[in-house]
Amino acid sequence: MNEGTTLLHLQCHFGLDTLSWARRGAEVVGVDFSGTAIALARSLADEVGLADRATFIESDVYDAARHLGGRRFDIVFVSWGAIEWLPDLGAWARLCAAHLEPGGRFYMAELHPLAYCLDETTGPAELRLRYRYLPAPEHPEVDPIEGSYADPSADTAGHVSYSWSHSFAEVVGALLGAGLRLEFLHEAPFSVSPVFEFMEKDAQRWWWLPDGKGGRRTDLPFSYSLMAVMPDGDGVPASSPASDGATETGTGAADARAARGPRTDDEE
Amino acid sequence: MLEEWLRANMAVWDERTEVHAASTFYDVEGFKSGAETLTSIELEELGPDVGEGTRLLHLQCHFGLDTLSWARRGATVTGIDFSEEAVGLARRLADEVGLASRARFLRSNIYDLPDVLEGEFDVVFTSWGVLTWLGDLRRWAQVAAHYVRPGGTFYIAEFHPLAFILDDAARSDDLRLGYPYFQGPEPLRFDEPGSYADPDAATRNTVTYEWTHPIGEVVTRLIEAGLEIEHLHEFPFTHGLAFAYLEKGTDGWQRIPGREEDYPLSFSLRARRPAG
Repeated sequence: MNEGTTLLHLQCHFGLDTLSWARRGAEVVGVDFSGTAIALARSLADEVGLADRATFIESDVYDAARHLGGRRFDIVFVSWGAIEWLPDLGAWARLCAAHLEPGGRFYMAELHPLAYCLDETTGPAELRLRYRYLPAPEHPEVDPIEGSYADPSADTAGHVSYSWSHSFAEVVGALLGAGLRLEFLHEAPFSVSPVFEFMEKDAQRWWWLPDGKGGRRTDLPFSYSLMAVMPDGDGVPASSPASDGATETGTGAADARAARGPRTDDEE
Repeated sequence: MLEEWLRANMAVWDERTEVHAASTFYDVEGFKSGAETLTSIELEELGPDVGEGTRLLHLQCHFGLDTLSWARRGATVTGIDFSEEAVGLARRLADEVGLASRARFLRSNIYDLPDVLEGEFDVVFTSWGVLTWLGDLRRWAQVAAHYVRPGGTFYIAEFHPLAFILDDAARSDDLRLGYPYFQGPEPLRFDEPGSYADPDAATRNTVTYEWTHPIGEVVTRLIEAGLEIEHLHEFPFTHGLAFAYLEKGTDGWQRIPGREEDYPLSFSLRARRPAG
């Protein structure tokens, strides 16, 4: 991140992280589908004196291209609880790629797909898988909204949310299918928000599973980060027939393979 | 002086070779009659790249059934395994099925392979139950990438780490966690008689040392070794795992009953070494 780096922040909520990048010198554009969030982001940008280098656009991710035109950025940034609101990562990844300069970088930091699977009703010593890990575009998780992660006691009665699970294969496949080249996939044993009420916050900001002995558990993943680069004009995109978008990584393709069985001679 | 984990694991695999050669799981007689041992995953995803004259290196090949299956499809194959017994059986099988002219087998630990093998290959292949025996994926990825020619392919089909983190007591309706996803450098020590291919086999060497590797570690180590990821796929089925929460279907794949589409039990990854 340098002075003048151009950065597109998708699903920016009311812009705190977007403006944090601006404070570090970036020229930022934040996109969010909530008009209320965008209005607040704009007034915050004014208030902290960053309006000259921060633009906020009210748009659904899938419609963002209409507002961005042909504009390309050095960095496309996505973080923390964003992609669960998207049913289709193929179109999302193509949007990210379309707005990256050659040599530009896509970066995301997200909650780990395994963390989304865990049963929130258990104690720390009896963790179980409950929710699905693999994608199911036609079957979103439908939840009544009971408060918010930021204010559990807020009055949100009558609202429901729709969210979608996204596996590593789906995320990686979508980005490769859009022509990006993967640089790293890192996983971490802590979370940006408490997945369980019994998680504990450290001095930085991260939430950890306690080990019951006064320490922290480091054996389960709660976050991941991923970097991918848009190949230069003279580079060859990493895309191949086998990585052609998210549909290839869905369970439909897996079923087609499964129908033929693991081994033709696999009778016991 | 061998490290204890390596000595113990080699003893287990040396002893297993004879057990496996006689098992219905591996069905060596069926293989000799022409049966395919590769699964539909690697056949579909890598099969089109393997033909007459393809130079293929198979890492951790056990006694060579899959190696020889690629040779049957035209490849010139080199199989590597750290078990002397396994490599010996692989060579005898190659002779017996008439593939010795296009199949060679070398005994070597992965990490030491550059000491005994030179050259480059169109395809470096490894599959099903290999990563659990490796503590150092950085070195593994470097060795694998070293043998892929510019423009060539690395391919792995493997058990998903999620399949290894469930508890021994896990059932399909109670998927409780019992093992680490992030294990760190120290291996887990198991002491279990028999083998996945024949649980009732009387074995003398029963202690193994194993590692679970997160998906991100596999992906990132291969990229660091100079490969470009072409695909990462996850599958809600697997085969050959002796876990109580799995049930084998009529198609031969094991799934979690009632959660047939929900959790990844296998993965495959294809990568390419950039040309030039």
